[in-house]
Amino acid sequence: MSLVLAADYRVPDFDHWWAALTAGLPRLPGLGAHHVVVYRSLEDASRVFVTIGFRQRSPVDALLRSPLMFSWFDSAGVDELPPMFAGEAVEKLDLDLLPGAAADIAAEGAVFVATIAPVGRRDGVARLRASVHAAVTRLADSGVRRFWIYRALDDQAEVMILQEIATERQAEQWIRHPDAATAFMAEAGVGAYPPLFVGRLVQVLEVPGT
Amino acid sequence: MYICLCLGVTTGTVQHAIDAGARSTKQVAEACGAGSICGRCGHTIRTMIEAAAPDPPASKPARLRRRWGRS
Repeated sequence: MSLVLAADYRVPDFDHWWAALTAGLPRLPGLGAHHVVVYRSLEDASRVFVTIGFRQRSPVDALLRSPLMFSWFDSAGVDELPPMFAGEAVEKLDLDLLPGAAADIAAEGAVFVATIAPVGRRDGVARLRASVHAAVTRLADSGVRRFWIYRALDDQAEVMILQEIATERQAEQWIRHPDAATAFMAEAGVGAYPPLFVGRLVQVLEVPGT
Repeated sequence: MYICLCLGVTTGTVQHAIDAGARSTKQVAEACGAGSICGRCGHTIRTMIEAAAPDPPASKPARLRRRWGRS
């Protein structure tokens, strides 16, 4: 089973941070990583959401305290280390493949909404998946193109959800008037959980040599 | 989520320490080790302590502003 690490944080200088990130890519194969995905907030240009995909479920503790992780933050001037989500994909729905979906809208205008939140200890993830499956038509009609659910390894009631929404206007509508299946978005921003992230894909960085 | 990268301490473990009475980053570090090595996760631990407080200061809301959040 593959592993995904994700973090939501602010960088003092995006260009400087980006240079440090890309410079560190050649060191990632040693950790088993195969790609890094970077999103940038629409509201706050210094805020980024980063996911790192690993081919196998490597020991999370060892990954987190690896010198590379710290060097990324250090070289970019990030003093306060963000919480890191570690989990595995349990659901990947591609809704733009549904009949009648808004496939004519340019993909480059897509907005990504990332949520890390608790969903309830008693079958929370299973109930979330069931409710999303029941709502796929409404989601697609609202512009949701992709709906990916990751379950945390350290807490079976915690999830990270990435939603790709066709346009910024539809994303705004979706957040202002969420579906019953996306009630989890209201849990973002409480305690250690980051506020809802709304941004655009910057780049999918393939790790060289993998 | 993992709060303390140095020791791999999770949100659940830190929350357990806070629920057990820890009210400062030092007390959390003593209880579970989080923040005891480099200390760079201290802001997250403070946020969790504030969120757990019965009457958080109005100037430091536990629920942060979001762009399109419902009013």
